[in-house]
Amino acid sequence: MSAEVKIKAESRTQFGKGAARRIRREDKVPAVLYGHGAAPQHITLPGHDLMLALKTANALLSIELDGDSQLALPKQVQRDPIRGFIEHADLILVRRGEKVTVDVPLVLVGQAAPEALVTVDHQTIELEAEATHIPESVEVDIEGLGVGTQIQAGDLKLPQGSTLVLDAEALVVNFIAAPTAEELEAELAEAEAEVGIEHDVSDAELEAAAADAADGAEGATGDAGSDPSQE
Amino acid sequence: MLIPRRVKHRKQHHPKRTGMAKGGTKLAFGDFGIQAMEGSYVTNRQIESARIAMTRHIKRGGKVWINIYPDRPLTKKPAETRMGSGKGSPEWWIANVKPGRVMFELSGVPESIAHEALDRAMHKLPMKCRFISREGGDFL
Repeated sequence: MSAEVKIKAESRTQFGKGAARRIRREDKVPAVLYGHGAAPQHITLPGHDLMLALKTANALLSIELDGDSQLALPKQVQRDPIRGFIEHADLILVRRGEKVTVDVPLVLVGQAAPEALVTVDHQTIELEAEATHIPESVEVDIEGLGVGTQIQAGDLKLPQGSTLVLDAEALVVNFIAAPTAEELEAELAEAEAEVGIEHDVSDAELEAAAADAADGAEGATGDAGSDPSQE
Repeated sequence: MLIPRRVKHRKQHHPKRTGMAKGGTKLAFGDFGIQAMEGSYVTNRQIESARIAMTRHIKRGGKVWINIYPDRPLTKKPAETRMGSGKGSPEWWIANVKPGRVMFELSGVPESIAHEALDRAMHKLPMKCRFISREGGDFL
């Protein structure tokens, strides 16, 4: 459960890419605040504070706008795919005690059995929880679980006060058998042949081959040497 | 190697090289990945070479996802041919990758092994790339 993060906002009156770029140049983020049937409010948020707040999943933001404070959850965030800065944020208004549907990250705890390959089919779990008591994560203990085990959404131990929205029969974590060394080698050899990859022979392998050849030659001369005695 | 089973047009125009990736810019399946920092055409041979390089390093440990598909044909005219007489014959299959695109994902191995495996795969790709991980990433 994360605490509220207070962020001071300014209302925005100019729109379009020119105004948005001017805001971004000042290290601020254009954002929109909506929900509960109210008219959307266009606001500007401080870029660094918002970036720090959004480091946690489903951070509850307390937006201070014109002397008034409103609770909001991030609904959608647009980021630059390379540099990662926030270009725009959509915030949805929530009330204290209101139930909201959120995606909570799944965290695996422990080590599965050595032969099992763990695949997570749902990286986040859709839950319904109170807006002020949203769990930070859902933990799943996978200690010692072996091949063939399947953890479904209904099997998860949910944090107190939250209910599952995701289908209870949805597969969350699957434990499959890792391919054997022979299977993997055969598959890679076939793929390499198709692409035309040839392996360079290493120095160690060259020395081993030379040593084998020398042993073979000595054996052959030894045999040849024994022949004259028979004559 | 990845090749489309059937295409609508056998010879196509060159895909656009401008712009950034519109989607697929975050990890969707695995815990680690390779993100393109530049735009480039990636051939099916390069994709397969990268997959082999990373699979050889992780051995039996992990699972690999390939998020790009070489669905565009590129043509080439034979050597020492005069210009004209129509478009050349299809020579390569390429994926048009834009900056920001997560091309490969990996899970089921420790970060040090994943880093080395993906580094080896990056050397098979034609553009500047970077290693990304879910841990410490942004949620939205």
